[in-house]
Parts: sequence; C-alpha cells; structure tokens
Amino acid sequence: MPVLRFRLSRLRALTGLGVEELEEALFRLKCETEVTEDGEFIEVEVNPDRPDMFIGEGIARAVRGLIGAEKGWERPKVVDSGLRLLVEEVPRRPFIAAAVVYNVNVDEEFLEELIQFQEKLHESIGRRRAKVAIGFHDLDKLPSRELTYRVSHLDTVFKPLDYPREMKFSELLLIDDRGAAYGKLAVDEERGSHPFLFSGDIVIAAPPVINSDVTRVEPGTRSLFIDVTGTSPEAVAQTLDIIVTALAERPGAYVGRVSLEGRAPWQSTPLLAEKLVEVDVGRASKWLGIKLGAAEAAELLERMRFRVEGVEDGTVKVVVPPFRADVMGEVDLYEDMAIAVGYDNIVSGFKGKYHGGDILWEHKVARAFRELAVGLGFTEVAQLILTSPEAVEASGMKELAVEVLNPVQREYSVLRPSILVTLLQAAAYNQYRRKPLKIFEVGHVVYLEEGEPRDELRAGMLVLDEEVSLEEIQAPLYSIMEVLGVKFRALKAEHPLFMEGRTARLVTSGGEVLGWLGEVKPEVLEALGIEYPVAAAEVSLEVLSRWSSRT
Amino acid sequence: MAEKVPVSEGEYRVLKLIAERRFVRGSIEEASRILGVDKSTLASIVYLLRDKGLVDVEEVEEERIEITDRGRRVLAEGLPEERLVKELASRGGETSINELQEILGGETAVALGQAKRRGLIEVSKGIVRLVVDARTALATLEGFKRLLKEAAERGVWEGEGLEEALKRGLVRRVKSKRILLSVKGEPAALLERVEPEASRLTAEMLRTGEWRRFKFRSYNVEAMPPRVLPSRKHFLHEFIEMLRDIMRELGFREVRGPLVEIELFNFDMLFQAQDHPAREIHDSLWIKEPRAADLGRYADLVERVRRVHERGWKYKWDPSIAARYILRSQTTAVSARVLASRPSPPVRVFTLGKVFRSDAVGPTRLPEFHQLDGIEGDYDYSFRDLLNRLQEIASMLGLKLKFKPAYFPFTEPSVEGYVRLPNGRWLELFGAGMFRPEVLEAAGIDYPVGAWGFGIERLAMAFYGVSDIRKLYTRDVDEIRGARFYIR
Repeated sequence: MPVLRFRLSRLRALTGLGVEELEEALFRLKCETEVTEDGEFIEVEVNPDRPDMFIGEGIARAVRGLIGAEKGWERPKVVDSGLRLLVEEVPRRPFIAAAVVYNVNVDEEFLEELIQFQEKLHESIGRRRAKVAIGFHDLDKLPSRELTYRVSHLDTVFKPLDYPREMKFSELLLIDDRGAAYGKLAVDEERGSHPFLFSGDIVIAAPPVINSDVTRVEPGTRSLFIDVTGTSPEAVAQTLDIIVTALAERPGAYVGRVSLEGRAPWQSTPLLAEKLVEVDVGRASKWLGIKLGAAEAAELLERMRFRVEGVEDGTVKVVVPPFRADVMGEVDLYEDMAIAVGYDNIVSGFKGKYHGGDILWEHKVARAFRELAVGLGFTEVAQLILTSPEAVEASGMKELAVEVLNPVQREYSVLRPSILVTLLQAAAYNQYRRKPLKIFEVGHVVYLEEGEPRDELRAGMLVLDEEVSLEEIQAPLYSIMEVLGVKFRALKAEHPLFMEGRTARLVTSGGEVLGWLGEVKPEVLEALGIEYPVAAAEVSLEVLSRWSSRT
Repeated sequence: MAEKVPVSEGEYRVLKLIAERRFVRGSIEEASRILGVDKSTLASIVYLLRDKGLVDVEEVEEERIEITDRGRRVLAEGLPEERLVKELASRGGETSINELQEILGGETAVALGQAKRRGLIEVSKGIVRLVVDARTALATLEGFKRLLKEAAERGVWEGEGLEEALKRGLVRRVKSKRILLSVKGEPAALLERVEPEASRLTAEMLRTGEWRRFKFRSYNVEAMPPRVLPSRKHFLHEFIEMLRDIMRELGFREVRGPLVEIELFNFDMLFQAQDHPAREIHDSLWIKEPRAADLGRYADLVERVRRVHERGWKYKWDPSIAARYILRSQTTAVSARVLASRPSPPVRVFTLGKVFRSDAVGPTRLPEFHQLDGIEGDYDYSFRDLLNRLQEIASMLGLKLKFKPAYFPFTEPSVEGYVRLPNGRWLELFGAGMFRPEVLEAAGIDYPVGAWGFGIERLAMAFYGVSDIRKLYTRDVDEIRGARFYIR
C-alpha cells in the first residue's frame, strides 16, 4: 500500500489538530500512521482506493470533514485559461487531458509533496505509468499557448528535465533510468516514433517518460499547467480531476480550463466530473445494521465531503465530488456513512447463537489419524507443500508433479506429489537424533491426474533406525486401520520410492487404492542424504474418509 | 536386641550360602568353590560384609615359585646336560664338540658347562668324554628334575637347587596376595544379625513371598530423572484445529476448495480488475503446466462476471485470464465458490487451508501459509452483524479487537481487525467486509453476505510467542516434542 511522508507541522497546520487527534482521525480514514523518531515527519499508509489523500490538501479535506470542522464540498472557481490543445492520433497512448491551477504558489516543502503526489499516483491508478502518466509544468514558462499532442520521430530534440543540454529522445532512452523503465510503454518501434507534447514547436514533455526542462516547476512557481496522458479515457480524466481539486484547495487557488481540439473525446478539461447517487436510507440502514433517519444520513455524508442536493422520501440525493474516484455506486456511500458513525459505535455485541456448525469429515478423519499415530509413538511434523525439484526427482515422481511458473526460490518451486517427499526431508534433518526416529505428517499433496492438477489430503509415516524391517511400519499402520474399522488388503506392487519385493499397495474392500508402504530404496536414501534405512507408508485421507464409517 | 545390620540382596545371598554350607574360614578361592559364587563377585561382596562387621578378611602376602617357559620345555624335553649324557652314552662315551653342536644346537654351551660342573664329563682337544657311567650320571640329575616338576605343580621349591633353577631361568619368584575369609561367630547365627534390603521389588520376590524379608532401600527422590519427551502432534496443527473448533461452536460449517484454483474464483468473481496489482507476476504464483482450465462448465457465471467487470471497471474483460490456473492466493476463493453455488440462506460456512504468495522464505514471510475464511449471509444480515461476529471470534481467542476502516476490492464497507499483543504491539488479525453488490450479482445471489479472512501463522506466532515464522514449521523433532503444551 502507498506510504506517504508528510511534514508533521504542515499536516497539523492544514487540519488544525494535535498529533494524537490527527493519528486517530487518519486511523478512522483507513490510514496507518507513524511519526518519525525526530518528530518532524509523519508516515501515512493510505489505502489505494483513496488517491485523493496522497497529498496534504486531500488529507486535510477528509480529516476536517470527519471531525465536523467542514461539511460538503463546493466546486472551485473555473476560468478559461486561453490555452488550446490540439490532439493528433497517438496510437499507443491516445488520450490526453490538461488543466491549469492558478496561485498554487510552490515553495520548497510543497514541491517535495507535489513530486510525491505524482509518484504515488503513477504507482497506483497509473499502474506504473502504463495506464496514466502525469506532467507538471510552470504555467508562466510555457513557450506558447498553442499546444499539440502528437507522435514524432525518436530523433526529436529537446532538453530533458534535469539535463544541462539538449539531446535526441533516442539518446535519452539509452542513458536515462526513466528512459529504460518507461520507454517501452509508448515507443512505436515500427515507425520509430513516440508521443510528445509541444508548446508551439518546443517539446515540453515526452509522456510517459519525462518532461522538458523548459517548463520546470521550482520554488517560486506560481501557477501550474498539468497534462495527464494514458490509455484509458476514464482514468486520464479522473486523475486530472483528483489533481486539480487537490491543488485548488490551496489558499487563493482557482482552476483554468484548457480547450481540446482534434481527436480528443472532450471539448475541454478538467471535467471536474460529479456523479449523482441516490442513497436509499432504509436500504443503507439495513445494510449497515444501524437505524438512520434521512437528515442524519445526509449529515454523515456531508461530513465525508459529499454534497447533498436534497432529501426526499427517505432518499438522499448525493453529489459525489470529482476526487472520489473510488465511489462506484450506492454501497460505497454506505461505507462512508459507517466511517462517519465510527465502526466502534456500530458493533453491539453478538446476541444470536446458531447450531449446525460442523467440521469436514475428512478433517475429523485426519484428527483421528493424528491421535492414533501419536499413540503409537510417532511425532507430527508440519511442512510446506512447496518443495525442491531435486527432492521430487530423487523420489522418482517428476512426471506427476506440478511446477510453479514463477517461483521465488528454487527450493520452493514444485508442489509435492507425495507427502513422503517432504517427510523424507524431515527424516534427513533428524537422522542423527535418538533412534528409532518415528515421524508422521498430514497435509495436502498436488499432482497431475489425466493432465489436470488436483490436490489430495494424505498422511505419511516413517521409521528410521540402524536397522529397519517392513513390519515396523506395517504394524502401526495396520493397527490404525484396525481401530478405525477400515478393511483393506495388501498387494505386492511397485512404487518409485520403495524396494522391489518390499512394496505393498493397500487396497480397500471396494478396490480403491488407500495407499502404499515399503522399505525405501537405498538409491533414494542416498540421493536425499539419508544414512539410515527407512520404512514408510502413505495413505490417502480422502480415500480413508470414504471408507471410514461414521457409526 | 542389637540393631540389625542392613544388607543388600547380593550380600544377603552370600550370607545365606555361608550359613547353609557352614563355611567358617578359608581363602577366597576355597570360599568361591564351596559357596558356588563367582570369585570376583564374591571378593567385592566380602569387603562390603567386612565393612559391616559380619566377616573378617585377612590379606596375606605370599611368595610362590612359578615355572617359566624354559622350565616347562625342560620338563618336556629333559635338561640339556641330561640330553648330552644320553648322546655320549649312545656314542660309546665320547664324541667331538662339533658333532654335539649339530645335535644340541644353541644349548650346547649350557649342556657342556653344567655337565662339567657336576663332574660328569671332561673336554680335551675338541673331544668330550663321559667320566662316570651313564646311569649314575642321569641319577645325579633326577633330584633336580623332581623339584622342578613339584614347583610347576605346587608353586613351592622344597629342597636344594632353587638358586640354580632361578639362575638358569627355569623358575621365578612371584609375590601374590591371598584373601582369607573368616566368619565372625557361628555361621548359622549370621542371618539373625542382618536385615536384607532390596533396591527393586521384583516379580520373583512377589511370587516367592520373599519380599517379606526385605526392607526396600530409600532413593534420592529429589534427584532428576533422565529427560524423556512425549510423541506429539505438531503445535501449529493443534492451533489450527482449535480454530476449527471455534468456528464449529459458532455454528459454521466447514467447506473446502482446490489449492490449484482458477483466477475466475481467486480474483474475477471477487471483482478484482484484471489489471489489479495483486494479479501481477510478482504477487501470486502460477503453475507451468497446464496453464488454463476450460471455463465451459461455468458459462453463466462467466457471463455475469464479465457484465459486472465491464460495467464497474470500464475495460474489456478477458475470459482467458480468468481461465488461468493459479496457486490460490486467498481462501476467499473458496468463499467465492460457495457463493457461486447459490446456497439458500442463512449461509454460515468457513474454510481453513493453505494459500500461496510470491514471497521468499524469511523471518516474517513464507511462500505458503494458512488462512481462515468465513462468510455469513441472510436477507436481514448487516454490517453490524458482521462486526459483532468478528468481535465474538476475537473474544473466543481471548483477544480484544480494534476496528479500522479498510479497503478491499470486493467488500464495502471494509474493515480490518487489530488486536493488541502482550508486547504492546498491534497485530492485524483479519480483513473483512460486506461483499459488494457486484460480487453478489456475479454469483447470482440476492441477500447480503459478510466475509472475513484471517492469516493464521501470524496469529499462531503471537500465541506461541514466536518471532520467526520459520519456527512454526520447525522440522526438529526434539523441538516439536519438547514444545510447551498450552491447555485451552
């Protein structure tokens, strides 16, 4: 989740709260907070559904509503900026929206936060710039009021942000980290082109990679020109709305509209798109389990910074402001109402008591098996299902096994096709302990059955000693089956883990394979680094569940 | 009557034999023979009895004459001078030294020296001549030979010639200790003076009734016994079973779902957009082969899922992504399957099992761990019921909850539950919420459903006071067997 860092002094000034009250309010707004040791900063983990809170102004707007200091939300003043943006065909990144915010008055502290705002928006709704990318420019430095968004060849020359000289875009792609990271998002290899934003005939941005140094934002910048480009028109317009409404919260700030021409889906931006949602107060009360009147509901929603247009017949007409991109429908407003009430005020202690609870029969059978195995002197181990390809290979079960496509570690890149694959690893680990070593494990295995993956709950048990005979594993397993009342036959068989002539397949009276037992092959022991003989058994608890009686 | 002397079983056995066989005095060897007790066992018991004042033991230093290997050879083959006399007699009383040397070899010099000393021969110009007749000569040697033979048999040399025998290396002096054992007083009365003490009560004693005669020795009951460990169930699994019991007690029925899941249930049904970060390659684990399942049997569900995704997230929903096999990343996938089966309310089910994530094994993370997911729904079910339920579960675990509003793509409202650990830190116990109408619509359900998911390992770590998650999966059998057992 996005973690943001703010100057504590700035957040306190914006919200008018002390540190503790601020942290409490943020907790109720889904945020975890931590004040740095020097007391200068506060780190705020904001949920990804609230990108409007990725900046101090957005946090203050939400906090001041929750504590009742402010209510509802009014649209900022919007004027015509006189900027015109011509949108040409840009196949790999077709959409652009732009706006001006006057009197932002950037100082050093705010510049830090603005960059953080941009970065976190890129990471979340921007999907690392693939979906949306943002450019901030100093309005007063724009070379021309006529802007064009179009593709141009990779040799297009401009002065990239933070570089002392002009260069070809193709050169930047090679030498700059951002070029390497984001170049592939919009470069058209076939045509040798990339999207650029021109002001007059000067490049001010090469989205989504980098801006030009010409329009650099720095302390002292008064007003901002903002461009947002991307692959989804909704996401592009929403992102611009979130930015503009946050910046417009700055004292004295107001918004400038930009006219769009050409292939744009809009005539001008920002849209400052509001959404009308009707909240049925009865339905909300039922969903949340709290009794609310319409006036009360309206008041709660205003505290969450929604504008209430009217209340009639138990319905509240709510205007969702442009920065609340997360609100998809009525139910999202229920949550905001619950937050305004406070979850702690909703919980009331549980009254009902229900019957009919149950545990899966298979797990009851597993419990019985574990109980009996312990009674027979076996100790349970618990291991991961993920194991190493070497262990699976050594067990001769490679064909059966399901491999992970994108493992993090090789040791955990295959799902065990048999519980004995990992149980033998546990035996190897414990082989120098006091003998005889008697261990068992109950857990899932995953294997291919007719080409499709399937899992199964199994139990494995083994005995390791200076000398081991088959009977040492047969006797305890048979005794478990006897007291569980499960009838089976042992048939001479072959198995990749067990020695020829010392392997048995256990078959239920209905002919289903219950499991296997045998003395482990010396070559398997050697491959797994086990220096003592082992006798082992594996049974399917799924099959055992079918053949163990409930009565 | 004087206080009885406590004796061990072994001591009592010897005393009993002494009394029965009326042994009074004799060497340890004799006693061993008479009593039928092994000599070394008897020797050690005798000293213990002496310390208790029941017998006297006298140690006598003795010197014995012991025959050497050379002496034994002489007894078998004759003295060298004896052989010399016999050889001379058979050659008419004289022969050359050279010839004798061929017969007597290395002993020639000894034979000549001894015979000459006894005045039996004379040597001149390389010729040896017998000066007395052979029979007389041999008779002079008989006495010496007899004494040597006696020494070999009885360990004594009674007569002349000991010095000569010692010098010639035929015998040697040996010093030894002789143990003389004598009973104090009348042997038969011995048993009256003692009280037998046993360390173990044996089946034999019970059978014969002999236990009556014994006093059983006191042990140092305050000393530590050897350490043994019980066979055990694994503590993590015990913790998991406790959670299952809690859910059953609350009226929830357990269900299960596959570990290798399809994205349709793991993500799409849960309204997680196909470009959601959790669906990226570095968050979840997919399988190599096969890559995807056939969605044919889910046709209706697929259509409903498509509808809510395209309407809600405004993108083109791709069924081939939903068909991909994935190692399930959340047990909510099982809850999604339950919803898709459109159960009639009230619904109260839970599932507990493994989930997989793209994480390396480390002190706080594992690539697979357990989750517990529960869902509850009915026509009049509300968010308040959900919060109450969560508080109830926490209280059954003995934990106090703090609710935090949260975000999950598939619930609204969403909540996280935090509990305070003994160390004062807050632990995120679960994520929960009311399934969004989009999820219910995709499933085809017309009543509200609350859902929650617990991560079990982190909770188990808090319960067992373990700070490294890998300790929960220890393979060390001694550690498992010796782990603290918590009674709950």
